[in-house]
This record gives sequence, structure tokens and C-alpha cells, in this order.
Amino acid sequence: MVRLPWFLTWRRPHALAGPYALDALDAAERARYERHLRRCATCPAEVRGFAAVAASLGVAAAATPPPALKGRVLADVAALDAARSADAEIAAVLSAADARVASAATSAGGTATVVTSRRGGTMVFTSSGLPVLPPTSVYELWFIGSAGVRPAGLVPAPDPDDAAVLVLATGLSGDDAVGVTVEPAGGTDAPTTTPIVVLTPR
Amino acid sequence: MPDPLSPPGPDLGELLTLVARGDQVAFETVYDRVAPVVFGLVLRVLRDAAQAEEVAQEALLEVWRTAGRFDPARGTALAWMLTIAHRRAVDRVRSERAAAEREARAASAAPPPAADEVAETVESSLEAERVRHCLDGLTGAQRESITLAYYSGLSYPQVASALGLALGTVKTRIRDGLRRLRDCLGVSW
Repeated sequence: MVRLPWFLTWRRPHALAGPYALDALDAAERARYERHLRRCATCPAEVRGFAAVAASLGVAAAATPPPALKGRVLADVAALDAARSADAEIAAVLSAADARVASAATSAGGTATVVTSRRGGTMVFTSSGLPVLPPTSVYELWFIGSAGVRPAGLVPAPDPDDAAVLVLATGLSGDDAVGVTVEPAGGTDAPTTTPIVVLTPR
Repeated sequence: MPDPLSPPGPDLGELLTLVARGDQVAFETVYDRVAPVVFGLVLRVLRDAAQAEEVAQEALLEVWRTAGRFDPARGTALAWMLTIAHRRAVDRVRSERAAAEREARAASAAPPPAADEVAETVESSLEAERVRHCLDGLTGAQRESITLAYYSGLSYPQVASALGLALGTVKTRIRDGLRRLRDCLGVSW
């Protein structure tokens, strides 16, 4: 690529303030202009003024949105917020003062790991290299202890793009270990097969 | 200059601060205040109600997710939200247009909207009146360059070819037109 001397190029970026404020640049030019914007003494003020003009053009186009839009947007927001708090709960388990970890190879292959917080009664399960099951089967988690054997949730099928699947479960009590079995799709209330691994966090 | 979208109560910037902390009630207030502008602007660019609804929904969710990135030093909260919405609408319309052009090699872009068309399609609000009045004060080339870029989502090279003008001319028309609009609207910046 030929580099032009500065006196042939310096005017060009300035002249792009208008097209930039109107989103009339393609992505590459926009990125280039934004780099210029960070170094330019006078551009930010001009862009701010032009953006305010663009906002006025936008306000002038106001129209009544379909009534159903609000419900859909607010429902999405609630779902995103729930995911964010689920992530926060996982983070809380992982960073709990009494967090304990157990990890072991399973008899089916791969490795299973749990982190528990006894005080919070919570557990986070993750795994790597577990064999992919046919759609008719699922990995099911169990709390196993003096309180009996209770279901602790299903492990979602691994996303090919996303290596780590984290499962959060609550209801861990006292001396519970965490077991994993292979069950019919949808899971069961009590294990029907021998656990492929039992983890006892210490 | 009073902002027509700022009734008494917390301003949009303060509401965004609350939204950034996960305040869904504050977000609902933001929705009520900006959804008509977000939807109307996106509809204006896309000219298709179903697509406009999708893009408006995505834009409003982006506001929810990224409210913490709003920086009052760089402009108003409304301008920030409209930039999100407009960019999404422009991305959508350009990819659709590219697809259509690949198929049909459609000869011409959408015809430049006349100033009168602007008046017909906007809601009769005070701001719309002011904008129409100020657009009327531009030269034809300035007005067409700005409305083709902003309301039709054309890139400035597309504006140049639609109007048969040189690239540099379009950049100058847009800049001069925006300066004139800025002075006419008396926008705070």
C-alpha cells in the first residue's frame, strides 16, 4: 500500500465527520475514522454536534411502535437478567470461602469436576471429554448422602463451539457426594444405572 | 434548548446509570421514552414494519446490555441510543440491499425523498416541525445528501452515485448541511 505524505492525506479524515455522524461510512472507514477521532483536537466537538443533529433527525421520524414490542423487549431483558444472576451465582460458588473442588476421570471417559459450597448448599458441575450421548440419553447429576439420593440436574449437550458447560445446582447438604449417571433423555427421579463417577469434594 | 423527550423526572442519562446496574424498572421508563423514536427511525430506514420491529428489539436489548458504556462526555443519552438503533438499521438495510443487488443488479437506489415526503411520514411533533423547517433551509444537494444517508441508510459513495456527484462533493454537502442544521436547530452539544 502506498503511503501518501501527510499533507496529501490530512484533510481527508476531517471531511468524514459528517458521513461518520450519519453512519454513511463502511465498517473499515468507520474504524479508520474512529482512530483519527482519538488523536484529533477539533473533531470530537464537531462529531458531537453532528450526532446531536442526527438525533434530531431521528426524533423527527418517531412513530408509534406496535404494542406487542414492549412485552417482548421486557421479557428478553428479564431473561438476560436471570442469566446474568445465574452467572453471578456460579461465580459466587467458585469464589466462596468454603469452596471445595473434586475432579476425577469417569468410567465412560473424560473428566468430571465439581465445586461445592456447603454453606450455600450449592454446587457447580463441569466436565471435559465426556463422550457425546445419542439424543435418547442424558448425563444426570445426583446428590448422594445420608439424606438419600436426589436428582441435581441434567448436563446440557455440549455446544461444539463452547468447550465448558457449567451446571449450577442447589440443595447440596451435609455429607453429600456428587454422582453422574447416564439416563434416558429427560432424566429420571432415581438413578437407573451405575454412576460413571462419584465425586466427594474436600 | 429543552429536549422534547425529557419530561420532568430523572433524565435519560441518569436512567441509563440505573439500567447499567440492572434496574429493570428504570429500563421500562427508558423504553417508554425512547421506543417511539427508536422504532420510528428504524422503520424509516428499513421501510418494513416487521423488520423494523426486529431491529428495534435488538437495539433496545443492546441498550440494556451496554448501558454502562454510555459516556455523557461524548453526547446525550438519546443520541447514544439512536446511534445504536440507526447503526443496526443501516447494517440491515445495506446487507439486504447488497443481496438484492446481487440478484437483480437493481440499477438505482431508492429515489431521493423530497422534503415534502419527510413531512408526510413523520409524526406531527414539535421536533418534526423544527426539523422540517431547518431541512427546508438547506440547498437541494445538501438536503438530499443528508436524507439519503441518514433516512435511506446509503453510504456516502452510494449517495454520490445516486445523485451523480463526486465523492468529495458529497462529503462537503453533508458537512455544510449538518453545520447549517446544527445552527438552525440550536442543538446543545
